[in-house]
Amino acid sequence: MNPAESSWPILFGHLLELPVSTPPWLVASLGLILIYLVVILPSSVLIAYLDRKLGADFQARVGPNRSGPAGIFQPVADFLKLLQKDAVRRGNKEKIWLALQSMALYSTVAVLPLGSLCLLVDTDMSSFLPFWAALLVALGTLFLGFSQKTAAGWLGGVRVAAQAMAAAFPALVSILCAGVKVGGFRWSLFAKAQGAIPFFWTAFSNPFQFVAFVVFVISGLILLGIPPMDAPLSNPDLQGGISSRFFGRNLGLFQLGRFYSFFLWSVIAVVLFLGAWILPESLVNALNESQNFQALQILELLWLLGKTFGLMILVIWVARVNPRSRVDQITDFAWKILSPSAIGALVGASLWAAWSASG
Amino acid sequence: MITERLTSERLSTDLTSWEIGPYYDALPGPMKMRLLLDGEIIVSGEIETGFVHRGLEKAMELQNWQVAVAYADRLDPENAFFAELALCMAVEEISQFETPARALNIRLILSELSRVCTHLGYVVKVAKAVNAETMVHYALRDRERVLDLFELLTGARYSINFLRYGGVKLDMTAGFLERVLETCDLIRIRLKEYNDLFTYNHAFLKRTRGMGVLSSELIKKYGITGPNARASGVLSDTRKEHPYLGYEKLNHHLISTSEQSSHQSADCHSRFVIRLNEISQSLEILRAISDAVPPGEFELMKVEKDFAVPSGEAFARVESGRGRLGIYVVADGSARPSRIQFSTPSPASLLAVPELIVGIRVEDLPVLLASLDLGLAEIDK
Repeated sequence: MNPAESSWPILFGHLLELPVSTPPWLVASLGLILIYLVVILPSSVLIAYLDRKLGADFQARVGPNRSGPAGIFQPVADFLKLLQKDAVRRGNKEKIWLALQSMALYSTVAVLPLGSLCLLVDTDMSSFLPFWAALLVALGTLFLGFSQKTAAGWLGGVRVAAQAMAAAFPALVSILCAGVKVGGFRWSLFAKAQGAIPFFWTAFSNPFQFVAFVVFVISGLILLGIPPMDAPLSNPDLQGGISSRFFGRNLGLFQLGRFYSFFLWSVIAVVLFLGAWILPESLVNALNESQNFQALQILELLWLLGKTFGLMILVIWVARVNPRSRVDQITDFAWKILSPSAIGALVGASLWAAWSASG
Repeated sequence: MITERLTSERLSTDLTSWEIGPYYDALPGPMKMRLLLDGEIIVSGEIETGFVHRGLEKAMELQNWQVAVAYADRLDPENAFFAELALCMAVEEISQFETPARALNIRLILSELSRVCTHLGYVVKVAKAVNAETMVHYALRDRERVLDLFELLTGARYSINFLRYGGVKLDMTAGFLERVLETCDLIRIRLKEYNDLFTYNHAFLKRTRGMGVLSSELIKKYGITGPNARASGVLSDTRKEHPYLGYEKLNHHLISTSEQSSHQSADCHSRFVIRLNEISQSLEILRAISDAVPPGEFELMKVEKDFAVPSGEAFARVESGRGRLGIYVVADGSARPSRIQFSTPSPASLLAVPELIVGIRVEDLPVLLASLDLGLAEIDK
C-alpha cells in the first residue's frame, strides 16, 4: 500500500497491525488514546523530571533524589500524592469550566503532527487548528478564574485574556510566514519542504523565517501563559492566580493541561520551523524499501520529540534564570515589538519566496 | 469609616476593594492591607499591623538583665545581633563599664557579618518578589556561609545570644579570622555573579526602575533611616554620625559616603543596589579590622544571675541592617530592667507605604514592599 494515498485511520490500523475489518471510528479512538498514553503522558513525566532536576542544577541545589535512582520517580510520586488528596466540594461551576478547558485543550491531540504516518488530521487548515484551540483554552481559563469568585481568580483570568489577545496576532502572522515558505498549511507540506539538517530547516532558511520562529515561540509562551510569561499564575501577588484554588485531582488536571499546552506549542514550532520529523533521506528510503513502517514512524517520533524537548528545556532554562515579567509589560511587548516584527517577517518572507520562485 | 467606604463603594462599579493579609505572599510579614483597585492599579491602601505583637519590651522588664539579651534577639530575628548590641551598649553606659578592646573588635566583626547576612537575606526577598528563583537560591547558598561563621564563633546560627555586659560570651577560636577572610573573598566573587545574573537583568530593571520613588522630602517627613534613606541620597548612617565600637577609627571611605548616595535614583532598584554596595563595604571593613584584633581579655567580668545595674538611664543607637536602631534603658539598681524601649527603623518605612503604592500595579506591590525591607517583628515588637 502507498502511505500517501490512504486516509489516516487505515494507515493507523496498518501501523498497529489491526485487522482490516476494524471500523474506522474505533481505530480513530484507539489512536487518540494511544497517543495520549504513549506520547503525551510519558513526555510530561519526563519534562517534569528534567525541569526539576535541571532547574536544581542551574540553582546549585540537589533536586529530587529520594524516589528511585536520582529521583526519577518524583513526578509519579507527585501525581499519586495529588490523586489521594481529598477534595473540598465547591459546587459544579469550577468543575464544568475545568472540563471545558481540558476538552478544548485535548481536542488538539487529533491534530498533533507526530510523524509521516501519524498525521491524524492533515488538511489545508491543519496548522491553524491548535492556534484556535489555544484561544479557546484562554477563554476557558478566563471563565475558570471568574467562576472561582476570588480576587486571585478574577485578576488571573483577566490577565490570561489580556495576554491571549495580545499574543494571538503575532502568533497567527508567524504561522503565515512559515506557510509562505512551503506554499500551504498542511503538516505534510511543512515536513516535505524541510530537510534533516539545520541548514534545510525553515527557521534557518532566511533571516525573516528566523524572526518568525522566535516570534512564534515567544507569542506561544504569552498566549498560553508559560513561564517566564506566566503573570496570570504569579505567586507573590496572586498566590498562584487561578491555580491557587485547585488541589488534588483538579490541580493535577490543570497542571497537566498547562504542560500539554506547552508541549503542543513546542511540537508545532518544531514542525513549522525546525525540520519537523524529517530524517536523512537514505535512512527513510532503506526503511521504506524493507516495509518497516513501524520503525520509521518510531524513529521519526523520537527525532521530533528530541527536538521538542530541546526547545522546551531552552525555554525552561530562560524561565528559571530570569525574573517574571509584569503582565502589562508582556502585552506591551506583544503589541509593540512582536506584532511589528511578525509583520516585517511576513513581508520579508513573502518577497524572499517570490524572489526564489522567479529566480 | 471602613464600613462607610465599603457601602459607598457598592454603589459605584469602577473600584474594587481587596483586603489581603495577615498571611499573604505579597506581604513582608503578618500585616493587613486594604486596597482599592482600579482594574489592576492601586488607588489607595491602608495598613494594619500588630499581628506579631509579643509585648517584648514588657517581657524584658520581667526577667533579669542577662535574659534581656536573649529577648533582644527576638526584636527582629533577621537583625538579631544589632538589638543585642544596642542593649549592651546602653547598659554599659549606665554601669560605666570599660569594655575590653578585644571584645569590641569581636563585636565589630559580628556587626559587619550580620549586615552582610541581612543584606543577603534582602536580596533573597527581592528576588522572590520578582520570581527570580535562581537568584533566591544563589543568595541563600552564600548566606549559609556567613551563618556558618556565626555558628563557629557563637554556637548558634540565627539568634546568637552572644553578647554579655562588658564583653562577649566566648573568645574567638584559632583560625576564625582566616575563615572570615575566606568567606569575604568568596562573597566578593559572588557579588560579581549577582550583578551579571540579576542586578542589571533587563526584566529586573523593568520591574524596579522608577518604581516606589522615596523622595528626600518623604525621607524627612517619616524619618526614614538606613539604606532606604541612603538610596534616596540622604546620608544617614549612625556608624558615621555617632560612631561606636571603633567605627571612628576606620577609614572614612569604608562607611557609606556622600558621593555613593548622590548617584541614587531613590527607586526600588537603587535600594537594591545600595545594599549590594554595602555588602562590599562590609567586606572591606572586615578585611581592614581582621588584621588588627588586639590580644587580651574578651570580657570584663562574669555576668551572674543577680547582676544588677546601678540606677540610671541611657540611650544607645546602632546602625542595624534596616537603619537606625535606638534603645532607651532605665535601671533602678535592681536585678531587673526598669524600662526598656526600642526605637526601630522599619516603622518609618512602613508609614511611607500608603503614599508609595498609589498608582502602582498589583504585581508591583510585593516588589515595592520587599524593596523597603520591612521587619514586621520589629514594627510590632
